[in-house]
Amino acid sequence: MVEAEMIEAMEFQQLSNKHGVSGVPQTTLNDGAAHVVGAVPEANLLAEIQRIMAG
Amino acid sequence: MTKLLDENVVQQIREVFGQMKDPVHILFFSQKENCDYCDDARQLLEEVTAISDKLELAVYDLQEDAETAAAYNVDKAPGIVIAAQNGDQIVDFGIRYAGIPSGHEFTSLIQDILLVSGRDSGLQPATREYLKGLGKPVLLQVFVTPT
Repeated sequence: MVEAEMIEAMEFQQLSNKHGVSGVPQTTLNDGAAHVVGAVPEANLLAEIQRIMAG
Repeated sequence: MTKLLDENVVQQIREVFGQMKDPVHILFFSQKENCDYCDDARQLLEEVTAISDKLELAVYDLQEDAETAAAYNVDKAPGIVIAAQNGDQIVDFGIRYAGIPSGHEFTSLIQDILLVSGRDSGLQPATREYLKGLGKPVLLQVFVTPT
């Protein structure tokens, strides 16, 4: 149920532009349902996942 | 061909790979056109997988092997899947790379190989418990630059 993809932002610029990547790392959840810029501690990532699942 | 990894780095990786537990299967997807880093990424993976006999590399073409690519949700090249090899079964944990894992990402690649080899995500019990009950898929895309 969970997939994680590392994306080289320069190489896949279209996708980076689509998700408004301006700083790295940026973690985008479910194709734009949420974005987190910077390092994401496990608890924060879990909270984001719970938030988009509830929404 | 010039090696991408020098002997010093290979030695360091060999030491780290000493912690590997179970076999890891890496799938690599390239494409013939519009892929500046496919050749380098493939060579990098060939050099890394040569370091341990617990590592296996399978090379595919995104177009010619479209069925395999779809089965692993790979739609970009170079595309890499780090999966587990249990006997003759390949077990996908949903770990992928789009683009060459160089610079910082090379460390991530080595760490991911170790994680998959240990068959343990390292996540907290509460996180695991929640994820087990997920009703819908979750896709995490982490955008990085290789420096």
